[in-house]
Amino acid sequence: MAIEPADVLIVGAGPSGGVVAKRLAEAGFSVVCLEQGEWLDREDYPGNKLDWELKARKDWATSPNIRGLAQDYPIVEDDTPVSPLMYSAVGGSTIIFAGAWPRALPSDFRVRSLDGIADDWPIDYFELLPYFYRTDRDFGVSGLPGDPAYPPDTEDAPMPPLPIGSAGLKLARAHTKLGWHWWPEFNSINSVPYDGRRPCVQRSTCQSGCNEGAKASADLTHWPKAIAQGARLVTGARVRRIETDARGLATGATWIDADGREHFEPARVVILAANAIGTSRLLLLSASSAHPDGLANSSGLVGKRLMMHPFANVAGLFDEPLMSWQGQFGDLIESLEFYETDERRGFVRGARWGLAPTGGPINTALPSRAGEQIWGPDHHTHVRTHLGHGANWGLFAEDLPDEANHITLSSTVTDSSGIPAPEVHYSMADNARRMLDFHIERAKESMDAAGAYKIEVDRLMRYSGWHLLGTARMGDDPRTSVLDRWNRTHDVPNLYVVDGSCFVTSSGVNPTSTIVAIALRAADRIVETRAQQQVPA
Amino acid sequence: MSAVAGDPYGGLGADERATLAAIADRLIPAAHGMPSAADVLDDDRLRFVLGARPDLFEPLRSALRQDLGDDVGARLDALGRSEPSTLAALQLVIVAGYYTDRGVREQIGYPGQMAIEIRSWEYPAYLEEGLIDAVLARGPVWRDPATGRRAAAGDAPRTYAERWSTDAAAPEGGSHGDDRS
Repeated sequence: MAIEPADVLIVGAGPSGGVVAKRLAEAGFSVVCLEQGEWLDREDYPGNKLDWELKARKDWATSPNIRGLAQDYPIVEDDTPVSPLMYSAVGGSTIIFAGAWPRALPSDFRVRSLDGIADDWPIDYFELLPYFYRTDRDFGVSGLPGDPAYPPDTEDAPMPPLPIGSAGLKLARAHTKLGWHWWPEFNSINSVPYDGRRPCVQRSTCQSGCNEGAKASADLTHWPKAIAQGARLVTGARVRRIETDARGLATGATWIDADGREHFEPARVVILAANAIGTSRLLLLSASSAHPDGLANSSGLVGKRLMMHPFANVAGLFDEPLMSWQGQFGDLIESLEFYETDERRGFVRGARWGLAPTGGPINTALPSRAGEQIWGPDHHTHVRTHLGHGANWGLFAEDLPDEANHITLSSTVTDSSGIPAPEVHYSMADNARRMLDFHIERAKESMDAAGAYKIEVDRLMRYSGWHLLGTARMGDDPRTSVLDRWNRTHDVPNLYVVDGSCFVTSSGVNPTSTIVAIALRAADRIVETRAQQQVPA
Repeated sequence: MSAVAGDPYGGLGADERATLAAIADRLIPAAHGMPSAADVLDDDRLRFVLGARPDLFEPLRSALRQDLGDDVGARLDALGRSEPSTLAALQLVIVAGYYTDRGVREQIGYPGQMAIEIRSWEYPAYLEEGLIDAVLARGPVWRDPATGRRAAAGDAPRTYAERWSTDAAAPEGGSHGDDRS
């Protein structure tokens, strides 16, 4: 018996998929979502258990290659100094993200006009602003209104700010002394009870799942509401290709269940929400005689212009105890003092700084990412002086688009369903290298002003590819972009991409807030143009 | 010999346990009032570690194999040179066993990742100290795409009290969406 096509098929149950599913289900669309992972029970998250730091290095690692779980797909990383990070489950990578919730800034959408490099977006900050407000309410954001690094808001964050901790206060005082910007970070983490979820308890284990449900993961904030409106979520469903008809319209997806059986899910509209690596992988996997270079790829840009935000860490050590193993791992405070372009620095664009907690004793005792290891009698001194005495500036450098940074399909490595794995080809540009060097020096000055007696730098961390962006950019010209300004592919009128693939440039901030605002805008457009939407017969 | 299901530590022989103790004592010796890892890593601690991370058992056994000789330093050097992932697993087993011990945690003043209530009703110290006012007093930081320059201050609030004495913030010059092309 033929399955009745859904109005909309979504691939991926992460944050952007959740936003779109909830909006469309509320608008009366029949919605089905295919998700390769499963529902998780937050009772199983290791953050409140003795073995947390052990599990965080394997089953709860942020890299799918380290986890190696059946629902993960491997990523070939031989040609990149940065490992992409992600999670496969209902909620997607919001299960393990830190929860930092800065928006892209107005200048981020006008890089070509302002700085003569890369490209402008077809949309701007002010067009997105109403969607930022809506997604802030839906996810639940805590923050102090009035940050002068952004244009004035007409709506405050729905919750008061989270604490900034002793380390945050120390660095805030330092920036006051230096005359530099700082602000309590906006986080999608509850500071008070909100939307049926408990407030944060400052355990700092956000990246191993939030035991409290205080962090806004889409399995809590969106999927239950989408399902209550009739959306159907199929887990353990690994999509292997998007199918098309003779008219070039998407007809649905072929997927494989955990037992290896193949299925076909028909739909009138297909929406990809599988992150910038998963989505471009799927478009490339969907090549056929009608589109031999991959689906929606007449521009040749599918999988290209990958951006991941080169990341450095500057740690300060202080004499006094800061108990800095506690606090939201979404940042305590941020600084955008050096975010905007100043060409006298020798590069364009800038970086956001986020101050984060420093981890527990196992993390402190093991060799550092920079390779420092202290054994023997001095080991005890090392742990005593480091554990709870540190503060970390994480530096997120804007990554400009480069077609040489791209995704291909592996001819040798497959996932557990036999589907080719993505290969990542990525290198850091000279502009970003100079940018990181500059920001590292400024961050050292920040730590110095705060009274740090020792400063440790980790340049270009390998396991820092949290922000996957740009592999199906939006634009007005089908020759130079994959998506139009409404996230619809130029080539396939009923195929949309709503994850970070759509980014034209990367900004220099954590992107989830901007990704979901754009996804909500796309969903609104699908609702508004429902009568005009081309669908297969 | 392979690991016994549910008790991977039981798969280690007496020689391997002795080698592990010698390495643990080298890496984390008794000093500065702290016990050695060899004294802390009893059967329960190692069972706990390998129970949480059974994937560590095989690299641990490899790190303890006889052909690496009796000299602990030479063994560690050899592993570091040619089998860094095996060495990393060995270090993790020892460190994790040590720092999940209740007594060690008490001695280093680490109570674990605690659940701490947020006191959101309290006035933050950074507001009390005027640190936010100092940021606001310097004016806008964002770059206005309409001009390419740092946004004009206009009538933006210059203190936090002023910010809260007005309703939603008023535009402070530059582009706010009403004049975009």
